Amino acid sequence: MREFIEVLITGITIGIVYFLVAVGFTLCYGVGRVLNYSYGSFFTWGAYLAWVLAVGYSKLNYVLVFVIVLPIMFFLGVAVDQVLIRPLRKRPEFDFSVILVTLGLAVFLDNLVLVIFGARTKSLPEFLTGSVKLGGFTISWQLIAMFIFALVVAVVLFVFMARTRTGMSMRAVAQDPTGARIVGIPLFRVFAVTFGISTLLCGAGGILLAPRFFMTPTGGWTFLVKALIIVIAGGLGSLRGTLYASFMLGIIEAIVGWKLGLLWVMPFWFLVLFLVLLVKPAGLFGATARKG
Amino acid sequence: MLEVENINAFYGEYQAIHDISLKVAEGQLVSIFGPNGHGKSTLLKTICGLMKPASGVIRFDGHEIQGLPSHKLVEMGIVLISEERHLFPEMTVMENLRLGAYAKPARKKESENLEFVFTMFPKLKTLAKKRALSLSGGEARMLAIGRGLMSNAKFLAVDEPSFGLAPILRVQVFEQIVALRDRGLSILLVEQTTGDIAEMSDYIYLLEDGRIAFSGSTDQALHDDAVRKVFLGIT
Repeated sequence: MREFIEVLITGITIGIVYFLVAVGFTLCYGVGRVLNYSYGSFFTWGAYLAWVLAVGYSKLNYVLVFVIVLPIMFFLGVAVDQVLIRPLRKRPEFDFSVILVTLGLAVFLDNLVLVIFGARTKSLPEFLTGSVKLGGFTISWQLIAMFIFALVVAVVLFVFMARTRTGMSMRAVAQDPTGARIVGIPLFRVFAVTFGISTLLCGAGGILLAPRFFMTPTGGWTFLVKALIIVIAGGLGSLRGTLYASFMLGIIEAIVGWKLGLLWVMPFWFLVLFLVLLVKPAGLFGATARKG
Repeated sequence: MLEVENINAFYGEYQAIHDISLKVAEGQLVSIFGPNGHGKSTLLKTICGLMKPASGVIRFDGHEIQGLPSHKLVEMGIVLISEERHLFPEMTVMENLRLGAYAKPARKKESENLEFVFTMFPKLKTLAKKRALSLSGGEARMLAIGRGLMSNAKFLAVDEPSFGLAPILRVQVFEQIVALRDRGLSILLVEQTTGDIAEMSDYIYLLEDGRIAFSGSTDQALHDDAVRKVFLGIT
């Protein structure tokens, strides 16, 4: 029983990290209508950038790693949006061409990692070592640090979306792009900022999860698929659904990993997705017919 | 204030407006009447930067504005109140209104304009915390107009404000529009049927098949037999 609760705590912690990754993916689609196939590669890049700073070329403190990598990821996202995505928006077949372009970008980014860092797996050391005993439970400091980092990012994101003018304009564009133009919101700027935030969230996920998984140049694809599963299970476009699905799948991952091994995680995720869609075809909190 | 010269606009191959020229002087209420699907909305969208004209010139306060992005036009004070409303459905009435003041010049006057909107539509104040998607047709129409007023506009393009409204609300909305004109706003209004608003306008255009079929002062329009019969439905 005690072991089970420790696994549960692990599950909740990775759940909140998955939430960040999944939310970044939904934002990109919901606001900018970009089905971003290079999302997994940004995950990889976040992790490798952290590796460069923390292991490979210097031994920076993790807090500093975050402070340096997250803005880099943001501007990388803005640059990708401005250089690759923006010119596509003039085309009538934007929805489709953006998939091909981001797919191409993913192949490019993955191979760039391969060329620079080689094919051998790398690993990011844990942020903190050791563990703490709390009321009979043993919780590693690593897990606590992960939880706090992810929680801070999630809270900042919520406040940003709810209270700031930029956050509000992002929601406005997602809900009615024409309405957004009518009130004078510059769409291209909002698209760029959204892409930047999306990339930043993905990179944060990459850094937080890298110590749990080995890093490889194509390792990000798993997380693109995971983000997709979470978003679909939660209900496309529902922030609440994404939150619940993240925790549910995070906990399932922890339990399956504990009982059967990490190899079984993805089959179980797909099984859960299948069951959710069987009962609720639009996902946990997806509206069956969304209007406007 | 606003001058449109010989603009043409297309949807793909289909030409929606042909060679249209019109003028709105400062503080005027100018109305465009015409049947559905004859280019009225297209004309307003083109003026407000939601569509680009294929040719022609649009001048606002002497500056050429055709082809400028909509957010630049909103900053200049050109604001569209769309017939389709385009509210933000998941946001509250208050959030919708606050976003109406998104443009920089409007931010400074946000609280002042909010108060004005609430005195104009007291109903909106009681609905402030409700989400836009839960509003009735009339309430949503008020919110769309209120949101437009939050932008501190100098020029309002109003697309069929009475569409789908009960007759009593229709009259109220028209009275509010006239009140706005009397406060010094320049207004270009589009309607399918004329009703009372024709008499309150300063100038009238009739649009048919994307072309201007008649233009003249309100007196001229009301005394033109052809206009009376065909467009105004008065015999």
